[in-house]
Amino acid sequence: MSDQTTTEYQAESPAREAWRMFRRNIPALIGVVMLTVIVLATSYGTFLYGGDPFEIVWAPHEPPGVTPEFPMGTDYLGRDLIAGLLTGGGPTLAVGLAAAAITMAIGISFGALAGYYGGWVDNLLMRITEFFQVLPALLFAMVLVTLFSPSLLTIAMAIGVVSWPQTARLTRAEFLKIKELEYVTAARAIGARNKRIIWKVILPNAAPPLIVSATLTIGVAILFEAGLSFLGLGDPNVMSWGLMIGANREYILDAWWPVTFPGLAIFFTVFAVSLIGDGLNDAFNPKLRER
Amino acid sequence: MSALLEIDDLRVTFGTRYGEVTALDSVSLHVDAGETLGVVGESGCGKSITALSVMGLIPQPPGKIAGGSIRLNGEELIGANPARLRGLRGGDVAMIFQEPMTSLNPVFTVGDQIAEAIMLHQNVDKAQALKDAIALLDRVGIPSPDARARDYPHQLSGGMRQRVMIAMAVSCRPKVLIADEPTTALDVTVQAQIFDLLNEIQRDFGAAIVLITHDMGAISEMADRVAVMYAGRVIEEASADDVLDYPQHPYARGLIDCIPALGRDDHRLAEIPGVVPPLHLLGAGCAFAERCAHKQDRCGLEKPLLAAHGHHPVACHGIEEGRI
Repeated sequence: MSDQTTTEYQAESPAREAWRMFRRNIPALIGVVMLTVIVLATSYGTFLYGGDPFEIVWAPHEPPGVTPEFPMGTDYLGRDLIAGLLTGGGPTLAVGLAAAAITMAIGISFGALAGYYGGWVDNLLMRITEFFQVLPALLFAMVLVTLFSPSLLTIAMAIGVVSWPQTARLTRAEFLKIKELEYVTAARAIGARNKRIIWKVILPNAAPPLIVSATLTIGVAILFEAGLSFLGLGDPNVMSWGLMIGANREYILDAWWPVTFPGLAIFFTVFAVSLIGDGLNDAFNPKLRER
Repeated sequence: MSALLEIDDLRVTFGTRYGEVTALDSVSLHVDAGETLGVVGESGCGKSITALSVMGLIPQPPGKIAGGSIRLNGEELIGANPARLRGLRGGDVAMIFQEPMTSLNPVFTVGDQIAEAIMLHQNVDKAQALKDAIALLDRVGIPSPDARARDYPHQLSGGMRQRVMIAMAVSCRPKVLIADEPTTALDVTVQAQIFDLLNEIQRDFGAAIVLITHDMGAISEMADRVAVMYAGRVIEEASADDVLDYPQHPYARGLIDCIPALGRDDHRLAEIPGVVPPLHLLGAGCAFAERCAHKQDRCGLEKPLLAAHGHHPVACHGIEEGRI
């Protein structure tokens, strides 16, 4: 960035600049709108719509659009699908967010320490990372969930525990690159300690790819939760989109709708999250900025 | 009476794929309060390693301080505990780097960064530190320091950034300021301004400055004393005037001859033939021997020691024997 902003005296932080780039990105904005609608619908929709998603309210397998009271029809037990969709979104999103948070927390800690200290610390942490990396993720998550009885918390933890190695590798790579830069030496030269250099100097500079990765991890975690629920390892007491698909999958040939609607809900949520992730990637990537 | 900063017989080695190489070999330097020591030499001669040793920033491994001592105010720095060294870095000893483009953290405002440096060493709150930072920006000659303090490094020019680095370095009134090629990346006009600023700062703060450079012009403008380094050793040391006017060592003479002078009618500028030998290929003799016009058998066999021969201390067999 050799061009001087001589006319523009308004200071612009890198974060602000990224936000400006992001706002220009139409697909990313569509993603934000979609996700906002989904979050609002699943958080407030339940109260507005009312109804217990577990309650049997009508004949089973009522097709959508036949009975005005149940526009999306009912499932194999005669439960209202709209109530299920609205209630089930919250847990799905919560598990996705929590799992992504756990993934980032473990991954960033491992990657940062390994990349910064190098030597035997790096060796030890990376061998542990590889150990987790070579386990088949879904199987490992299934084992963890069965061991600790399925609940939203254990599912989120299981997903986090199996997906952090990628984040650790990404973080490590960023740290290896950034720790050689002169401003890190300069920080050391003013007497900053390692802890401060890791979290306050290097991490903020490594943030852009990590933020993108975190966003995409949310999408993956939502799919993961759906997968586990589909296999019958979801929390049976909490309605979620994955549980709806899992419970209704045996009847998919007789009734397409109890599986399709939650499937579409998952699809649009993950799609929205991915659009946002890609938008953030573009916004943070200086090479894609037109100046 | 010992000097403010004393480097004594310092030896630094690096483990490389060629085995262990000696980057610094019995380097002895000293600098007093208010004095500017110039350290000159080609790239790779050990200037920056010397600076990093004083800061305690030699990456270990692969680097290793194999011997010698570095004393600040009589306090030994080699082997001092890390917390003490951290307190000294940025406190009593500060450093200015070569590349103002890359030595500031791109994601924080320059005001924040200077304030951080202040808060690391002084017991003040953030608001006071920011106020001090703005005062420092003003002191180093940055116009409208209030506004500039809220700028990010990429919004400033190279000269401004170097001023910011200087402000950060002097924020805790260091006793020793190490400037590692502070002007190499800057325009000539900006270079002169930075030197003026360093001189002013020295007058105000009474700091000792160690100026590392390969620019003899910078030396003549700034330095009181000069140490010429070659392949990890100090080969000549004297007052700046002596080195500039009566260089002794053939290498130092070569360096001085490389300076273009106004009104001199030479068609070509003199140059020193050859390059600095790779450190792992240094033999038993003088490291400069292969490039030296005065080479004799002894030069290839025995390392010359820094000693006063005639005019001032120099490490050369030829001078010692009186043939040069």
